[in-house]
Amino acid sequence: MASSGSGYDLSAATFSPDGRIFQVEYAGKAVENAGTVIGIHAKDGVVLGVAKPLYHKMIVPTTASYKRIHTVDVHAGVATTGFLPDARVLVGRAQEEAADWQEHYGSKVPPHVLADRLGHYVHYFTLHGALRPFGASCVLGGYDVDTKECGLYMLEPNGAAYKYYGVATGKGKQVAKTELEKLNLHKQDAESSMDVATAVKNVAKILILLHKENKDSDGKPMELELSWICEASKWKHAPIPKDVLTAAKEWANEQLEEEDEDDEEEEEAMEEG
Amino acid sequence: MFRNQYDTDVTVWSPEGRLLQVEYAMESVKQGSACVGLRSNSHCVLGALKRSVSELSWHQKKLLEIDDHMLVGIAGLTADARTLAKYMRNECLHNKYVYGTPMPPHQLMADVADKHQRTTQTYVRRPFGVGLLVASVDPLTQKPHLYQTCPSGNLYEFYASAIGARSQSARTYLEKHHETFGDASRDDLIVHALQALVGCVSGDDELTKENASIGIVGKDEKFTLLEGDALQPFLDRLELKGGDDDEEEAGDDAAAEAEPMET
Repeated sequence: MASSGSGYDLSAATFSPDGRIFQVEYAGKAVENAGTVIGIHAKDGVVLGVAKPLYHKMIVPTTASYKRIHTVDVHAGVATTGFLPDARVLVGRAQEEAADWQEHYGSKVPPHVLADRLGHYVHYFTLHGALRPFGASCVLGGYDVDTKECGLYMLEPNGAAYKYYGVATGKGKQVAKTELEKLNLHKQDAESSMDVATAVKNVAKILILLHKENKDSDGKPMELELSWICEASKWKHAPIPKDVLTAAKEWANEQLEEEDEDDEEEEEAMEEG
Repeated sequence: MFRNQYDTDVTVWSPEGRLLQVEYAMESVKQGSACVGLRSNSHCVLGALKRSVSELSWHQKKLLEIDDHMLVGIAGLTADARTLAKYMRNECLHNKYVYGTPMPPHQLMADVADKHQRTTQTYVRRPFGVGLLVASVDPLTQKPHLYQTCPSGNLYEFYASAIGARSQSARTYLEKHHETFGDASRDDLIVHALQALVGCVSGDDELTKENASIGIVGKDEKFTLLEGDALQPFLDRLELKGGDDDEEEAGDDAAAEAEPMET
Protein backbone atom coordinates (compact mmCIF):
# COMPACT_ATOMS: atom_id res chain seq x y z
CA MET A 1 0.00 0.00 0.00
CA ALA A 2 1.37 3.36 -1.08
CA SER A 3 0.29 5.04 2.14
CA SER A 4 2.18 2.60 4.31
CA GLY A 5 5.43 3.98 5.72
CA SER A 6 4.71 7.55 4.66
CA GLY A 7 3.79 8.48 8.23
CA TYR A 8 0.58 10.14 7.07
CA ASP A 9 -1.52 7.13 8.03
CA LEU A 10 -0.84 6.86 11.74
CA SER A 11 -3.45 9.19 13.13
CA ALA A 12 -7.03 10.16 12.39
CA ALA A 13 -5.88 13.76 12.94
CA THR A 14 -3.46 13.67 10.00
CA PHE A 15 -4.27 14.49 6.39
CA SER A 16 -2.13 12.94 3.66
CA PRO A 17 -0.69 15.36 1.04
CA ASP A 18 -3.49 14.42 -1.36
CA GLY A 19 -6.18 15.14 1.21
CA ARG A 20 -7.09 11.69 2.48
CA ILE A 21 -7.40 10.45 6.04
CA PHE A 22 -5.97 6.96 5.91
CA GLN A 23 -6.92 5.95 9.44
CA VAL A 24 -10.58 6.27 8.50
CA GLU A 25 -10.03 4.22 5.36
CA TYR A 26 -8.30 1.51 7.40
CA ALA A 27 -11.24 1.44 9.81
CA GLY A 28 -13.41 0.80 6.75
CA LYS A 29 -11.28 -2.28 6.05
CA ALA A 30 -12.45 -3.78 9.35
CA VAL A 31 -15.98 -3.54 8.02
CA GLU A 32 -15.12 -5.03 4.63
CA ASN A 33 -13.78 -8.15 6.32
CA ALA A 34 -16.83 -8.76 8.50
CA GLY A 35 -20.23 -10.40 7.89
CA THR A 36 -22.66 -9.05 5.33
CA VAL A 37 -25.58 -6.79 6.24
CA ILE A 38 -28.40 -6.03 3.82
CA GLY A 39 -31.25 -3.56 4.07
CA ILE A 40 -34.19 -3.03 1.74
CA HIS A 41 -36.67 -0.16 1.76
CA ALA A 42 -39.79 -1.63 0.19
CA LYS A 43 -42.96 0.29 -0.67
CA ASP A 44 -44.66 -0.80 2.55
CA GLY A 45 -41.84 -1.21 5.06
CA VAL A 46 -38.15 -1.92 5.66
CA VAL A 47 -36.27 -5.19 6.04
CA LEU A 48 -32.88 -5.73 7.68
CA GLY A 49 -30.83 -8.91 7.35
CA VAL A 50 -27.52 -10.33 8.59
CA ALA A 51 -25.78 -13.64 7.90
CA LYS A 52 -24.06 -14.99 11.00
CA PRO A 53 -21.45 -17.69 10.47
CA LEU A 54 -21.26 -20.11 13.41
CA TYR A 55 -17.50 -20.32 13.85
CA HIS A 56 -17.39 -22.25 17.10
CA LYS A 57 -18.97 -25.63 17.62
CA MET A 58 -19.83 -24.93 21.23
CA ILE A 59 -21.24 -21.42 20.94
CA VAL A 60 -24.83 -20.88 22.06
CA PRO A 61 -26.47 -19.61 18.84
CA THR A 62 -29.67 -18.16 20.25
CA THR A 63 -28.11 -16.02 22.94
CA ALA A 64 -28.52 -12.28 23.30
CA SER A 65 -24.74 -11.85 23.22
CA TYR A 66 -24.69 -13.17 19.66
CA LYS A 67 -27.31 -10.73 18.40
CA ARG A 68 -26.39 -8.63 15.38
CA ILE A 69 -29.70 -6.82 14.89
CA HIS A 70 -30.78 -4.64 17.78
CA THR A 71 -33.91 -2.68 18.55
CA VAL A 72 -33.02 0.91 19.48
CA ASP A 73 -36.56 2.14 20.01
CA VAL A 74 -40.02 0.69 19.46
CA HIS A 75 -40.02 1.80 15.82
CA ALA A 76 -36.33 1.63 14.91
CA GLY A 77 -33.65 -1.03 14.63
CA VAL A 78 -30.04 -1.38 13.50
CA ALA A 79 -28.20 -4.25 11.85
CA THR A 80 -24.49 -4.17 12.63
CA THR A 81 -21.26 -5.41 11.12
CA GLY A 82 -17.53 -4.86 11.50
CA PHE A 83 -15.64 -4.93 14.78
CA LEU A 84 -18.57 -6.02 16.94
CA PRO A 85 -17.52 -4.43 20.24
CA ASP A 86 -17.49 -1.09 18.38
CA ALA A 87 -20.86 -1.91 16.83
CA ARG A 88 -22.35 -2.51 20.28
CA VAL A 89 -21.24 0.97 21.31
CA LEU A 90 -23.06 2.42 18.29
CA VAL A 91 -26.19 0.52 19.26
CA GLY A 92 -25.95 1.87 22.80
CA ARG A 93 -25.56 5.40 21.47
CA ALA A 94 -28.56 4.97 19.16
CA GLN A 95 -30.68 3.81 22.10
CA GLU A 96 -29.55 6.82 24.13
CA GLU A 97 -30.35 9.26 21.31
CA ALA A 98 -33.82 7.77 20.89
CA ALA A 99 -34.51 7.98 24.63
CA ASP A 100 -33.16 11.55 24.81
CA TRP A 101 -35.45 12.68 22.01
CA GLN A 102 -38.44 11.14 23.73
CA GLU A 103 -37.55 12.85 26.99
CA HIS A 104 -37.09 16.25 25.33
CA TYR A 105 -39.96 16.29 22.86
CA GLY A 106 -42.32 13.61 24.10
CA SER A 107 -42.49 11.93 20.70
CA LYS A 108 -40.65 9.19 18.82
CA VAL A 109 -37.41 10.19 17.12
CA PRO A 110 -37.77 10.39 13.32
CA PRO A 111 -35.37 8.00 11.54
CA HIS A 112 -33.56 10.76 9.64
CA VAL A 113 -32.76 12.55 12.89
CA LEU A 114 -31.53 9.35 14.51
CA ALA A 115 -29.29 8.61 11.52
CA ASP A 116 -28.01 12.18 11.46
CA ARG A 117 -27.16 12.20 15.17
CA LEU A 118 -25.40 8.85 14.95
CA GLY A 119 -23.47 10.24 12.00
CA HIS A 120 -22.29 13.16 14.11
CA TYR A 121 -21.17 10.79 16.85
CA VAL A 122 -19.20 8.54 14.51
CA HIS A 123 -17.68 11.57 12.78
CA TYR A 124 -16.33 12.90 16.09
CA PHE A 125 -14.09 9.85 16.36
CA THR A 126 -12.44 10.72 13.05
CA LEU A 127 -11.21 14.10 14.29
CA HIS A 128 -8.89 13.32 17.19
CA GLY A 129 -5.52 11.66 17.46
CA ALA A 130 -6.39 10.28 20.87
CA LEU A 131 -9.45 8.47 19.53
CA ARG A 132 -9.86 5.83 16.89
CA PRO A 133 -12.53 5.79 14.18
CA PHE A 134 -15.24 3.16 14.59
CA GLY A 135 -14.38 -0.10 12.86
CA ALA A 136 -18.05 -0.82 12.47
CA SER A 137 -20.89 0.07 10.21
CA CYS A 138 -24.61 -0.21 10.73
CA VAL A 139 -27.77 -0.19 8.69
CA LEU A 140 -30.61 1.67 10.38
CA GLY A 141 -34.26 1.07 9.62
CA GLY A 142 -36.93 3.24 11.15
CA TYR A 143 -40.53 4.35 10.99
CA ASP A 144 -41.52 8.00 11.24
CA VAL A 145 -44.63 8.08 13.43
CA ASP A 146 -45.69 11.53 12.14
CA THR A 147 -45.25 11.13 8.40
CA LYS A 148 -46.11 7.41 8.46
CA GLU A 149 -43.08 6.69 6.32
CA CYS A 150 -40.18 4.31 6.68
CA GLY A 151 -36.53 5.18 6.21
CA LEU A 152 -33.38 3.15 5.58
CA TYR A 153 -29.94 4.56 6.34
CA MET A 154 -26.37 3.30 6.44
CA LEU A 155 -23.74 4.66 8.79
CA GLU A 156 -20.15 4.43 7.65
CA PRO A 157 -16.96 4.67 9.72
CA ASN A 158 -16.33 8.16 8.30
CA GLY A 159 -19.58 9.45 9.78
CA ALA A 160 -21.64 9.51 6.60
CA ALA A 161 -25.29 8.55 7.04
CA TYR A 162 -26.95 8.30 3.63
CA LYS A 163 -30.50 7.24 2.92
CA TYR A 164 -31.01 4.23 0.67
CA TYR A 165 -33.62 2.16 -1.14
CA GLY A 166 -31.37 -0.87 -0.88
CA VAL A 167 -27.98 -1.18 0.77
CA ALA A 168 -25.33 -3.76 1.57
CA THR A 169 -22.14 -3.60 3.60
CA GLY A 170 -19.52 -5.98 4.92
CA LYS A 171 -17.90 -8.91 3.17
CA GLY A 172 -19.19 -9.46 -0.38
CA LYS A 173 -20.95 -6.12 -0.52
CA GLN A 174 -20.16 -5.72 -4.23
CA VAL A 175 -22.00 -8.91 -5.17
CA ALA A 176 -24.86 -7.98 -2.87
CA LYS A 177 -25.09 -4.50 -4.41
CA THR A 178 -25.26 -5.98 -7.91
CA GLU A 179 -28.08 -8.27 -6.81
CA LEU A 180 -29.93 -5.39 -5.11
CA GLU A 181 -29.66 -3.24 -8.23
CA LYS A 182 -31.45 -5.95 -10.23
CA LEU A 183 -34.50 -5.49 -7.98
CA ASN A 184 -35.28 -1.97 -9.25
CA LEU A 185 -35.86 -0.73 -5.72
CA HIS A 186 -35.52 2.92 -6.71
CA LYS A 187 -38.65 2.80 -8.91
CA GLN A 188 -41.08 2.83 -6.04
CA ASP A 189 -44.01 4.27 -7.98
CA ALA A 190 -43.84 1.69 -10.72
CA GLU A 191 -46.21 -1.24 -10.72
CA SER A 192 -43.30 -3.60 -10.23
CA SER A 193 -42.32 -1.96 -6.94
CA MET A 194 -41.49 -4.41 -4.22
CA ASP A 195 -43.48 -5.15 -1.07
CA VAL A 196 -41.95 -6.29 2.24
CA ALA A 197 -42.93 -9.94 1.76
CA THR A 198 -40.90 -10.09 -1.44
CA ALA A 199 -38.11 -8.04 0.11
CA VAL A 200 -37.74 -10.57 2.94
CA LYS A 201 -37.35 -13.39 0.41
CA ASN A 202 -34.79 -11.44 -1.58
CA VAL A 203 -32.72 -10.49 1.46
CA ALA A 204 -32.60 -14.18 2.44
CA LYS A 205 -31.69 -15.13 -1.12
CA ILE A 206 -28.80 -12.68 -1.41
CA LEU A 207 -27.39 -13.63 1.99
CA ILE A 208 -27.54 -17.35 1.17
CA LEU A 209 -26.02 -16.70 -2.26
CA LEU A 210 -23.09 -14.84 -0.67
CA HIS A 211 -22.59 -17.61 1.85
CA LYS A 212 -22.48 -20.20 -0.93
CA GLU A 213 -20.18 -18.16 -3.17
CA ASN A 214 -17.64 -17.56 -0.43
CA LYS A 215 -15.13 -20.39 -0.52
CA ASP A 216 -14.19 -19.94 3.15
CA SER A 217 -17.72 -20.23 4.45
CA ASP A 218 -19.35 -22.73 2.08
CA GLY A 219 -20.52 -25.83 3.89
CA LYS A 220 -20.09 -24.24 7.30
CA PRO A 221 -23.19 -23.60 9.39
CA MET A 222 -24.72 -20.15 9.08
CA GLU A 223 -27.67 -18.50 10.71
CA LEU A 224 -29.86 -15.80 9.19
CA GLU A 225 -31.08 -12.98 11.41
CA LEU A 226 -33.80 -10.85 9.82
CA SER A 227 -36.04 -8.12 11.12
CA TRP A 228 -38.65 -5.79 9.68
CA ILE A 229 -40.88 -2.79 10.25
CA CYS A 230 -44.19 -3.02 8.39
CA GLU A 231 -47.91 -3.31 8.88
CA ALA A 232 -47.63 -6.96 9.93
CA SER A 233 -45.33 -5.91 12.81
CA LYS A 234 -47.68 -3.03 13.67
CA TRP A 235 -44.98 -0.63 12.49
CA LYS A 236 -42.70 -1.80 15.28
CA HIS A 237 -39.18 -3.09 14.77
CA ALA A 238 -39.43 -6.85 15.28
CA PRO A 239 -37.67 -10.05 14.31
CA ILE A 240 -39.30 -11.74 11.34
CA PRO A 241 -41.65 -14.54 12.50
CA LYS A 242 -40.10 -17.99 12.30
CA ASP A 243 -42.56 -19.38 9.73
CA VAL A 244 -42.00 -16.40 7.41
CA LEU A 245 -38.24 -16.82 7.74
CA THR A 246 -38.38 -20.55 7.05
CA ALA A 247 -40.55 -19.95 3.98
CA ALA A 248 -38.16 -17.25 2.76
CA LYS A 249 -35.18 -19.58 3.15
CA GLU A 250 -36.92 -22.34 1.21
CA TRP A 251 -37.89 -19.95 -1.57
CA ALA A 252 -34.33 -18.60 -1.69
CA ASN A 253 -32.76 -22.05 -1.96
CA GLU A 254 -35.21 -23.08 -4.71
CA GLN A 255 -34.51 -19.90 -6.67
CA LEU A 256 -30.76 -20.34 -6.37
CA GLU A 257 -30.98 -23.95 -7.54
CA GLU A 258 -33.10 -22.94 -10.52
CA GLU A 259 -30.64 -20.22 -11.43
CA ASP A 260 -27.78 -22.73 -11.21
CA GLU A 261 -29.60 -25.05 -13.60
CA ASP A 262 -30.30 -22.19 -16.00
CA ASP A 263 -26.63 -21.28 -15.96
CA GLU A 264 -25.64 -24.82 -16.77
CA GLU A 265 -28.12 -25.00 -19.64
CA GLU A 266 -26.80 -21.74 -20.99
CA GLU A 267 -23.27 -23.01 -20.82
CA GLU A 268 -24.24 -26.16 -22.66
CA ALA A 269 -26.04 -24.12 -25.30
CA MET A 270 -22.95 -21.99 -25.70
CA GLU A 271 -20.74 -25.01 -26.15
CA GLU A 272 -23.11 -26.51 -28.74
CA GLY A 273 -23.47 -23.21 -30.55
CA MET B 1 13.33 -1.51 15.62
CA PHE B 2 9.61 -2.13 15.53
CA ARG B 3 7.96 -5.03 13.74
CA ASN B 4 5.77 -2.42 12.15
CA GLN B 5 4.61 1.08 12.95
CA TYR B 6 0.96 0.26 13.49
CA ASP B 7 1.36 -1.90 16.57
CA THR B 8 2.31 0.49 19.35
CA ASP B 9 -0.93 2.40 19.95
CA VAL B 10 -4.43 1.12 20.59
CA THR B 11 -5.94 3.98 18.64
CA VAL B 12 -4.21 3.15 15.33
CA TRP B 13 -5.74 0.93 12.67
CA SER B 14 -3.37 -1.16 10.54
CA PRO B 15 -3.85 -0.92 6.76
CA GLU B 16 -5.64 -4.29 6.87
CA GLY B 17 -8.20 -2.95 9.33
CA ARG B 18 -6.77 -4.69 12.39
CA LEU B 19 -5.95 -3.42 15.86
CA LEU B 20 -2.58 -4.92 16.65
CA GLN B 21 -2.32 -3.68 20.24
CA VAL B 22 -5.61 -5.40 20.96
CA GLU B 23 -4.44 -8.58 19.27
CA TYR B 24 -1.28 -8.51 21.41
CA ALA B 25 -3.41 -8.11 24.53
CA MET B 26 -5.25 -11.23 23.41
CA GLU B 27 -1.89 -13.03 23.31
CA SER B 28 -1.42 -12.41 27.03
CA VAL B 29 -4.53 -14.51 27.65
CA LYS B 30 -2.69 -17.44 26.06
CA GLN B 31 0.21 -16.96 28.49
CA GLY B 32 -1.97 -17.47 31.55
CA SER B 33 -2.57 -20.93 32.94
CA ALA B 34 -5.58 -22.80 31.63
CA CYS B 35 -9.17 -22.36 32.68
CA VAL B 36 -12.10 -24.45 31.47
CA GLY B 37 -15.84 -23.99 31.77
CA LEU B 38 -18.87 -26.08 30.92
CA ARG B 39 -22.52 -26.26 31.75
CA SER B 40 -25.42 -28.67 31.96
CA ASN B 41 -29.08 -27.70 32.11
CA SER B 42 -28.80 -27.12 35.83
CA HIS B 43 -25.19 -26.36 36.73
CA CYS B 44 -22.24 -24.37 35.48
CA VAL B 45 -18.74 -25.53 36.40
CA LEU B 46 -15.35 -23.85 36.05
CA GLY B 47 -12.03 -25.60 36.41
CA ALA B 48 -8.61 -23.97 36.60
CA LEU B 49 -4.97 -24.87 36.85
CA LYS B 50 -3.26 -22.88 39.55
CA ARG B 51 0.39 -21.93 39.30
CA SER B 52 2.87 -21.39 42.09
CA VAL B 53 5.92 -19.22 41.52
CA SER B 54 8.17 -21.32 43.76
CA GLU B 55 8.22 -24.38 45.96
CA LEU B 56 7.61 -22.18 48.98
CA SER B 57 4.76 -20.14 47.56
CA TRP B 58 1.04 -20.72 47.56
CA HIS B 59 -0.73 -21.40 44.33
CA GLN B 60 -2.19 -18.29 42.69
CA LYS B 61 -5.97 -18.00 43.03
CA LYS B 62 -7.71 -18.55 39.69
CA LEU B 63 -11.42 -18.64 40.46
CA LEU B 64 -12.98 -15.55 42.00
CA GLU B 65 -16.40 -15.25 43.57
CA ILE B 66 -18.53 -12.40 42.24
CA ASP B 67 -21.85 -13.11 43.90
CA ASP B 68 -23.89 -16.08 45.12
CA HIS B 69 -24.88 -16.81 41.53
CA MET B 70 -21.70 -15.93 39.68
CA LEU B 71 -17.99 -16.69 39.56
CA VAL B 72 -15.14 -15.95 37.16
CA GLY B 73 -12.17 -17.97 36.03
CA ILE B 74 -9.22 -15.99 34.73
CA ALA B 75 -6.38 -16.44 32.26
CA GLY B 76 -3.83 -13.68 31.67
CA LEU B 77 -2.78 -10.80 33.89
CA THR B 78 -4.15 -11.58 37.35
CA ALA B 79 -4.06 -7.97 38.50
CA ASP B 80 -6.23 -6.89 35.55
CA ALA B 81 -8.66 -9.66 36.39
CA ARG B 82 -8.94 -8.49 39.96
CA THR B 83 -9.81 -4.98 38.75
CA LEU B 84 -12.59 -6.47 36.64
CA ALA B 85 -13.76 -8.76 39.44
CA LYS B 86 -13.96 -5.81 41.80
CA TYR B 87 -16.05 -3.93 39.24
CA MET B 88 -18.35 -6.92 38.78
CA ARG B 89 -18.81 -7.41 42.52
CA ASN B 90 -19.67 -3.74 42.87
CA GLU B 91 -22.22 -3.91 40.08
CA CYS B 92 -23.85 -6.94 41.71
CA LEU B 93 -24.06 -5.22 45.09
CA HIS B 94 -25.37 -2.07 43.46
CA ASN B 95 -28.08 -4.00 41.62
CA LYS B 96 -29.14 -5.74 44.80
CA TYR B 97 -29.21 -2.44 46.71
CA VAL B 98 -31.12 -0.50 44.06
CA TYR B 99 -33.48 -3.11 42.65
CA GLY B 100 -33.54 -5.68 45.42
CA THR B 101 -32.69 -8.52 43.05
CA PRO B 102 -29.46 -10.26 42.06
CA MET B 103 -27.72 -8.88 38.96
CA PRO B 104 -28.90 -10.52 35.70
CA PRO B 105 -25.70 -12.10 34.30
CA HIS B 106 -26.26 -11.18 30.64
CA GLN B 107 -26.64 -7.54 31.60
CA LEU B 108 -23.46 -7.51 33.67
CA MET B 109 -21.55 -9.28 30.91
CA ALA B 110 -22.63 -6.68 28.34
CA ASP B 111 -21.36 -3.97 30.71
CA VAL B 112 -18.07 -5.79 31.24
CA ALA B 113 -17.64 -6.18 27.48
CA ASP B 114 -18.29 -2.48 26.97
CA LYS B 115 -15.71 -1.72 29.64
CA HIS B 116 -13.20 -3.69 27.58
CA GLN B 117 -14.23 -1.89 24.41
CA ARG B 118 -13.60 1.53 25.94
CA THR B 119 -9.95 0.69 26.54
CA THR B 120 -9.53 -0.10 22.85
CA GLN B 121 -10.82 3.20 21.55
CA THR B 122 -9.21 5.78 23.80
CA TYR B 123 -5.57 6.62 24.18
CA VAL B 124 -5.43 6.86 27.95
CA ARG B 125 -5.70 3.21 28.97
CA ARG B 126 -4.28 -0.01 27.62
CA PRO B 127 -6.57 -2.95 26.91
CA PHE B 128 -7.10 -5.49 29.69
CA GLY B 129 -4.67 -8.38 29.28
CA VAL B 130 -7.03 -11.00 30.59
CA GLY B 131 -9.74 -13.36 29.39
CA LEU B 132 -12.59 -14.30 31.69
CA LEU B 133 -14.80 -17.34 31.79
CA VAL B 134 -17.90 -16.46 33.74
CA ALA B 135 -20.15 -19.13 35.20
CA SER B 136 -23.54 -17.88 36.27
CA VAL B 137 -27.12 -18.75 36.97
CA ASP B 138 -29.78 -16.32 35.81
CA PRO B 139 -31.70 -15.42 38.98
CA LEU B 140 -34.95 -15.05 37.03
CA THR B 141 -34.98 -18.25 35.01
CA GLN B 142 -32.62 -20.30 37.21
CA LYS B 143 -30.84 -21.36 34.00
CA PRO B 144 -27.03 -21.62 33.93
CA HIS B 145 -25.01 -19.53 31.48
CA LEU B 146 -21.32 -19.64 30.59
CA TYR B 147 -19.80 -16.48 29.12
CA GLN B 148 -16.36 -15.73 27.78
CA THR B 149 -14.84 -12.27 27.47
CA CYS B 150 -11.88 -11.21 25.42
CA PRO B 151 -9.59 -8.11 25.65
CA SER B 152 -11.10 -6.88 22.36
CA GLY B 153 -14.50 -6.43 23.99
CA ASN B 154 -16.03 -9.42 22.25
CA LEU B 155 -18.45 -11.46 24.30
CA TYR B 156 -19.51 -15.03 23.67
CA GLU B 157 -21.86 -17.46 25.32
CA PHE B 158 -20.76 -21.08 25.19
CA TYR B 159 -21.97 -24.52 26.15
CA ALA B 160 -18.32 -25.25 27.02
CA SER B 161 -15.02 -23.48 26.47
CA ALA B 162 -11.40 -23.22 27.58
CA ILE B 163 -8.87 -20.38 27.66
CA GLY B 164 -5.20 -20.02 28.58
CA ALA B 165 -1.98 -21.93 27.93
CA ARG B 166 -2.40 -25.33 26.22
CA SER B 167 -6.17 -24.87 26.33
CA GLN B 168 -6.54 -26.26 22.80
CA SER B 169 -6.41 -29.80 24.14
CA ALA B 170 -9.17 -28.98 26.61
CA ARG B 171 -11.31 -27.49 23.84
CA THR B 172 -10.80 -30.62 21.74
CA TYR B 173 -11.93 -32.74 24.68
CA LEU B 174 -14.95 -30.51 25.34
CA GLU B 175 -15.95 -30.37 21.67
CA LYS B 176 -15.93 -34.13 21.58
CA HIS B 177 -18.13 -34.50 24.65
CA HIS B 178 -20.21 -31.31 24.88
CA GLU B 179 -23.34 -32.94 23.50
CA THR B 180 -23.55 -35.14 26.59
CA PHE B 181 -23.20 -32.24 29.04
CA GLY B 182 -26.83 -31.13 28.92
CA ASP B 183 -28.16 -33.94 31.10
CA ALA B 184 -24.93 -34.57 33.02
CA SER B 185 -25.02 -34.49 36.80
CA ARG B 186 -23.13 -31.92 38.83
CA ASP B 187 -20.44 -34.42 39.79
CA ASP B 188 -20.04 -35.61 36.20
CA LEU B 189 -19.52 -32.03 35.07
CA ILE B 190 -16.75 -31.64 37.63
CA VAL B 191 -15.04 -34.78 36.40
CA HIS B 192 -15.35 -33.54 32.79
CA ALA B 193 -13.82 -30.21 33.80
CA LEU B 194 -10.89 -31.97 35.49
CA GLN B 195 -10.48 -34.37 32.60
CA ALA B 196 -10.32 -31.42 30.20
CA LEU B 197 -7.70 -29.81 32.44
CA VAL B 198 -5.46 -32.88 32.41
CA GLY B 199 -4.37 -32.06 28.85
CA CYS B 200 -3.46 -28.51 29.81
CA VAL B 201 -0.84 -29.48 32.40
CA SER B 202 2.72 -28.81 31.23
CA GLY B 203 4.97 -31.73 30.34
CA ASP B 204 6.58 -32.87 33.60
CA ASP B 205 3.72 -31.80 35.86
CA GLU B 206 0.46 -33.47 36.75
CA LEU B 207 -2.99 -32.50 37.94
CA THR B 208 -3.16 -32.69 41.73
CA LYS B 209 -5.42 -31.50 44.51
CA GLU B 210 -2.90 -28.68 45.05
CA ASN B 211 -2.92 -27.17 41.58
CA ALA B 212 -6.48 -27.90 40.50
CA SER B 213 -9.43 -25.76 41.42
CA ILE B 214 -13.14 -26.16 40.73
CA GLY B 215 -15.96 -23.67 41.10
CA ILE B 216 -19.66 -24.41 40.80
CA VAL B 217 -22.91 -22.52 40.61
CA GLY B 218 -26.19 -24.24 40.00
CA LYS B 219 -29.95 -24.05 40.02
CA ASP B 220 -30.16 -24.71 43.73
CA GLU B 221 -26.53 -24.25 44.57
CA LYS B 222 -24.85 -21.03 45.54
CA PHE B 223 -21.22 -20.42 44.64
CA THR B 224 -19.09 -23.35 45.84
CA LEU B 225 -15.34 -23.68 45.57
CA LEU B 226 -13.70 -27.10 45.63
CA GLU B 227 -10.01 -27.17 46.40
CA GLY B 228 -7.52 -29.41 48.18
CA ASP B 229 -8.91 -32.52 49.88
CA ALA B 230 -12.44 -31.85 48.66
CA LEU B 231 -11.18 -32.41 45.11
CA GLN B 232 -9.44 -35.72 45.76
CA PRO B 233 -12.52 -37.95 45.25
CA PHE B 234 -13.05 -36.37 41.83
CA LEU B 235 -9.39 -36.64 40.89
CA ASP B 236 -9.53 -40.32 41.78
CA ARG B 237 -12.15 -40.78 39.09
CA LEU B 238 -9.83 -39.45 36.36
CA GLU B 239 -7.54 -41.19 33.98
CA LEU B 240 -4.41 -39.14 34.39
CA LYS B 241 -1.89 -39.04 31.65
CA GLY B 242 1.75 -38.12 32.04
CA GLY B 243 1.77 -38.80 35.78
CA ASP B 244 4.58 -41.21 36.81
CA ASP B 245 2.54 -43.77 38.74
CA ASP B 246 -0.57 -43.46 36.69
CA GLU B 247 1.29 -43.84 33.44
CA GLU B 248 2.38 -47.30 34.43
CA GLU B 249 -1.12 -48.25 35.46
CA ALA B 250 -2.94 -46.78 32.49
CA GLY B 251 -0.14 -47.24 30.00
CA ASP B 252 -1.03 -50.86 29.30
CA ASP B 253 -4.58 -50.03 28.44
CA ALA B 254 -4.08 -48.30 25.08
CA ALA B 255 -7.79 -48.14 24.33
CA ALA B 256 -8.52 -46.28 27.52
CA GLU B 257 -5.75 -43.82 26.71
CA ALA B 258 -7.19 -43.00 23.31
CA GLU B 259 -10.76 -42.67 24.51
CA PRO B 260 -10.98 -40.45 27.58
CA MET B 261 -13.29 -41.78 30.21
CA GLU B 262 -16.99 -41.25 29.64
CA THR B 263 -18.67 -40.60 32.90
